[in-house]
Amino acid sequence: MIKNKKRLMFFKMISLSLLRRRSRMIVALLAIVVGATVLAGLVTIYYDVPRQMSESMRSYGANMIFTPDGTDSLTDEMIERALSYIPARDLDGYTPYRYENTTINKNPVTFAGVDFDGVKKTAPYWNVDGAYPTRDGEVLIGANVAKTFNLGVGDKTVAVSSIEITEDVDESLIPDYEIIEIDGVKSADHELPIKVVGIIQTGSSEEDYVYLSYSDVEYLTAKHRGYDLVEVSVNSTGGLESYTTSISNGVEGLRAKLIKHVAASESAVLTKLTSLIFIVTAVVLLLTMICVATTMTAVIAERRKEIGLRKALGASNLSVVGEFLGEGLLLGGVGGILGSVLGYVFAEIVSKNVFGGSITFLWWLIPVTIIASVAVTGIACLIPIRSAVDVDPALVLKGE
Amino acid sequence: MFFRMIKGTFIHQWKKMLMIALTVALGTSIATAMLNVMLDVGDKINAELKTYGANINVVSKSAAIVSSLYETDEATDAYLQENVTGELLTIFWANNILDFAPFLDGQVKLDGTDQKVTGTWFHYHLSFRKKGSDYIRDTGINNLRDWWEIVDGERYDEQADFYKDAGDLFAMVGENVAEKKNLKAGDEITLTGKTTEVVKVVGVFSSGDNEDDVIYLPLSTAQRLTGKADLIQSISVSALTSPEDETSQKVAKNPELARPEDYELWYCTAYVSSICHQIQEAIPTSSASAIRRVADSEGDILNKTELLMTLITVLSLIGSALAISNLVTSSVMERSQELGLMKAIGAKNVRIAGLVLTEILLVALVGAVSGYFIGFGFAQIIGHTVFGASIDMKGMVAFLVAVLIFAVTLIGSLPAIRNILRLRPSEVLHGR
Repeated sequence: MIKNKKRLMFFKMISLSLLRRRSRMIVALLAIVVGATVLAGLVTIYYDVPRQMSESMRSYGANMIFTPDGTDSLTDEMIERALSYIPARDLDGYTPYRYENTTINKNPVTFAGVDFDGVKKTAPYWNVDGAYPTRDGEVLIGANVAKTFNLGVGDKTVAVSSIEITEDVDESLIPDYEIIEIDGVKSADHELPIKVVGIIQTGSSEEDYVYLSYSDVEYLTAKHRGYDLVEVSVNSTGGLESYTTSISNGVEGLRAKLIKHVAASESAVLTKLTSLIFIVTAVVLLLTMICVATTMTAVIAERRKEIGLRKALGASNLSVVGEFLGEGLLLGGVGGILGSVLGYVFAEIVSKNVFGGSITFLWWLIPVTIIASVAVTGIACLIPIRSAVDVDPALVLKGE
Repeated sequence: MFFRMIKGTFIHQWKKMLMIALTVALGTSIATAMLNVMLDVGDKINAELKTYGANINVVSKSAAIVSSLYETDEATDAYLQENVTGELLTIFWANNILDFAPFLDGQVKLDGTDQKVTGTWFHYHLSFRKKGSDYIRDTGINNLRDWWEIVDGERYDEQADFYKDAGDLFAMVGENVAEKKNLKAGDEITLTGKTTEVVKVVGVFSSGDNEDDVIYLPLSTAQRLTGKADLIQSISVSALTSPEDETSQKVAKNPELARPEDYELWYCTAYVSSICHQIQEAIPTSSASAIRRVADSEGDILNKTELLMTLITVLSLIGSALAISNLVTSSVMERSQELGLMKAIGAKNVRIAGLVLTEILLVALVGAVSGYFIGFGFAQIIGHTVFGASIDMKGMVAFLVAVLIFAVTLIGSLPAIRNILRLRPSEVLHGR
């Protein structure tokens, strides 16, 4: 009963003290909230930014390729098996390419069969004047091809492929073409009317190709065949090498390679950025914590007189320390809670503005923030209280 | 008297004053370090991004149209003269050009099969003389192909003592070629084109793209093999650039039609498009274009990093501003008794406010100056641990921080001073 009463009195004293000295306590609380906000905000950013940056690095496009190893081409089944080695959430996209030589106006051009949805992921840097093809017969052409053949968006032409009739030709695809036989070699000129819907500018070799759908390439060449190359875009903060080795060993006839200049630079920039944010977080946190501590110290130090009065009334050192500490810890707790909310809000604002996405909520950061602010406040209170209780009450009250 | 009172405060309350100075110093150091890092991070990340390789490709004007579609095309106007390469060093943004190298491709026979070879500079000492001034630069693909992994042997380096005197009969072989032909460093191979050259394999590299199928030769060797003396096909340029914005894209499309002030601004900013434009001015027979994959992504990443650092800086600035004004408020408030006494013996409000402000600002000045140097230290620690290079200290930051600290200290003292002016001496002295 007595114990209960004592406890009640303790809380009453703390809360009344906080209420009565409102303005000063607001000052102290503000300091703690700022500290906790910086802690929660920066740590959230530190944990989430490498992931988000890695995603925006994907604007460089593919960082891994699959090529046939000892086989003629890659089948869908092989590609699927290889991709199963990469966790689904890290796989940003992939595009198989099938290259074929054909002609336009009797001039040789390389045609590439692609999946245009995949290309948007693995080659986001393509600058397409016009639109991506949506139906059969529509093609994208490289800027160099456009200049050479004087083709613009909306123009129509005919691609001609000279097919040598061998066993792997699917003759159902060339039902009514004239088959010419010279020296025992049978061949046919197979035509595909194409419509240019877009022109690609990239500043590199893509400008020399014509891109069209797989079914068009199949029709043009009258051959069922796999793919020559697969471009893969993988989100990663490291560990790309291990994927390539396990894929090359695990899937027979397929070889995975890193596009070194993309992969190497990505990891270099990511490492730098991560360590930059880490050290900035550490420095800012350290300084902010010291700031919080000095403010708390100042707030407590001015109450020496009160401490003296309590002691003169017969309070033990321990109870004085306990009471002031209780006050500080309460403030620390409240500040920590407010700070973790504000910190999350800050991190979310950063994430929205910089990366246009949401930030991952780190639930464990809430207790960490609260504990850290309670600890910092506690330590900051303890120092001035200790020196205050050691003083003779008479001296303090006299104002010396 | 005024100064004696101030002196008195510093002597009797040195602990409190020290506390304020310390907090101001900490706040200043955060502001200084963060602002400096923020302003410099663009340059630093930009340099880091250069490992992605060249971002500008220069070819002959007619080659841009003919392209590699006709590999049989022998017209010389599809090529550039080798000696125009030095013109790159004469453009307005020459200092932003980090590395460049010319290339000349050709098909030769190796053991009876076709083999693609590329002639280039590995580590070349270029000296170029124009209008009486000398331009000198060490450049080549040893920097541009930073990502090449040397599987066997070493990188060829025409500047190295051993190779300097040994002529140009050396080669770097792509991994796939080496595998197919079973080559390793030290082997000699015979290449047959317009001439026949016996070259020694210096190293085998792995690049992960189609360069693995190519043999790289010194430019002069490739020129003899292809019979194209003093000619090159393209120049790869790696330049530090600023991210493009809407205006720059508009001007870049049609520089002649842009408003003069827009043109001026565009020309004098290191946009990839303006550097391309200047290269074409310097080499009239050339066509320079941005390699979009590199140029676009670089701009994107740079913008994001800078924005990120700006937001973090804003947070830490707000944090340190609040911490300083907080402490100033609380330290002025606790002196109500002393100030009440002054009022009681007849001091005017203005004089008291002046006294308190002078004291606080003096302390803040001491704190800010020491804080600036601490912040300088922190910025350099960040620069060296993260980028291995020092952070440029900008004079603007010192000015900005000074204004900021002054304002924050002043604002922090305002509520406290207002409080003091409202004090009734009798109440204060009575201890309420």
